[in-house]
Amino acid sequence: MKRVIERLLNLLAFLLTTGRPVSAEEIRMTVAGYDHDNDEAFRRMFERDKDLLRNMGIPLEMRPTDAWEVEFGYVVPRDEYELPDPGLTDEERAALWLSAQVVRLGGQPSGPEALLKLGGGAMSGAGEPLAADLGQSATSLAVVFQAVTDRKVLAFDYRGRARRTYPYGLLHRRGHWYLVAAEGGQVRAYRIDRGSEYSAEGSAGAFERPAGFRLRDALPSLPWQAGEEDLEAVVRFDPEVAWWARRQLAEPAIEQPDGGLEARIHVANPAAFVGWLLAFEDRAEIISPDLLRSQLLDLVRGGSDE
Amino acid sequence: MSKTAKRLTRILSMVPWVIAHQGASVGEVCERFGYTERELLEDLNLVFVCGLPGYGPGDLMVAYVENDEVIVDMAEYFSRPFRLTPAEALGLLASGSALISTSQAPEVLEQAVGKLASALGIDPDEAIVVDLAGEPPLVQVLRQGVTESRVVELTYTSLGKGETRHRLVEPWSVFSTLGNWYLSGFCRTAGGERVFRVDRIQQAQLTDQSFAPPLEPPPPEVRYTPSEDDVRATIELGERARWVAEYYPVEVLSDSGSEMVIEFSAGDASVAARLLLRLGADARLVAGVETEAALKDLRTRILARYQSQ
Repeated sequence: MKRVIERLLNLLAFLLTTGRPVSAEEIRMTVAGYDHDNDEAFRRMFERDKDLLRNMGIPLEMRPTDAWEVEFGYVVPRDEYELPDPGLTDEERAALWLSAQVVRLGGQPSGPEALLKLGGGAMSGAGEPLAADLGQSATSLAVVFQAVTDRKVLAFDYRGRARRTYPYGLLHRRGHWYLVAAEGGQVRAYRIDRGSEYSAEGSAGAFERPAGFRLRDALPSLPWQAGEEDLEAVVRFDPEVAWWARRQLAEPAIEQPDGGLEARIHVANPAAFVGWLLAFEDRAEIISPDLLRSQLLDLVRGGSDE
Repeated sequence: MSKTAKRLTRILSMVPWVIAHQGASVGEVCERFGYTERELLEDLNLVFVCGLPGYGPGDLMVAYVENDEVIVDMAEYFSRPFRLTPAEALGLLASGSALISTSQAPEVLEQAVGKLASALGIDPDEAIVVDLAGEPPLVQVLRQGVTESRVVELTYTSLGKGETRHRLVEPWSVFSTLGNWYLSGFCRTAGGERVFRVDRIQQAQLTDQSFAPPLEPPPPEVRYTPSEDDVRATIELGERARWVAEYYPVEVLSDSGSEMVIEFSAGDASVAARLLLRLGADARLVAGVETEAALKDLRTRILARYQSQ
């Protein structure tokens, strides 16, 4: 392993400093550690080295060596190779490490490599055994994430159809990963585990997010908060369900003499609100406005004639 | 990641740090990068024989230890570590944002995620948002039950009949997945293994009874596991109701791309009835006598309440 690492360090040092693409032949003749005599041995060795560096995430690129693009050579562009310094303190690094141990992706705790690059630090304290798992192995997520951050076109299959989208953002809510993306001017959320064959296309900076776009709002936390309406509902909850209502409401509620609750709730999406309220069966009642009362009653009467 | 890649990554991380912190002690570098002293010396010796073509004294990097100080020089091209892979960046940002969303994270984590995101050129509000379901208050008690192997008593109130029921459960694990918190364990009342959604439990109390936890508890996950005495219903979902199949553990019986037929199973017919009611015209009950009766009863009760005024 020692000789392989020496060779890789030499190769990397060379490709970071040439400032121009260099051919495989030049590498073979210049970089210490490569076989000058045996063609086949060199080719195999060089292929393995390229794979290893690329799998590590090092940007080993091929670029034309001249304006006519007849010949291509290898280069590691320094501005793409280097990690910009986030200027983290030891305390901040430790916090990142712990959170990556407590909250996992796809059941796997993160390895130490990312933290080493950020400057290492005390990596003791394994955290709680398994506090939360964000699900989904990181592979397809990583492709989507990269396309989001590079603002590249993202292609994938979803529900039996090929999509080409502008990936605006990546969002994890209620246990699932969603891609919020625009296709043909329509912005919608795609559940990532329902899609497949994710791949980024074309060059970076292919689109701009619309002004005022907020990912958080693309999939609101309480369903009835997402919408165009601006209503205030007054709802009475019976004592038996007061505990459950209190747990879910964003607004404070007034306790009634009988132990029930009266709550004033901001409603932006009446349909979602009425749907949620039906979970309380006949243990809750919309007092006002009439608009919401009749919307709920329409739904309840809806199928009764069938 | 292969051993070679791991070792190379550590070297390419350690070298830039030492360049920026010349004269750091051997102990500090070891602790920071997880080296034993011997491993560090081996890696420094290796760096010492590498460099630029020519490979003479002026071309090779300088790396050694003197008076317990680590020195690396002539390695300007390695003065910064290499970029994070997308998976690494995502892993750090996602778990950081997740913890922040539970509002149990230290303030320092918020700063760290902010700094990291801006160094990577990412606007955390625009590109990535992670909301972990907030920890319901009962999680604490249930965790205590798990650690101390004590039976817990769970209290439920059914909405329809207003009955209060109790369950004695041997708690095995408390976990968060699918956006909710769950308790898994052996339900003494039902005489079988069960998974409970924590936000639906009205009260949880530790009892004095202890139990022997299983040697290998099943993995913490929620599956579609209909049991013998569950009430089943076959439901057709229209396009706007497809989310149901993603939100609840169900079995998809058929999927035409627009319509989808699922089998839904729950301990009580009222669960499917409530779901059907709120879906309105977007869903249809295909089969399930008990669910049909429960739905009818539900409609009658709600109408009665709204008309009694």
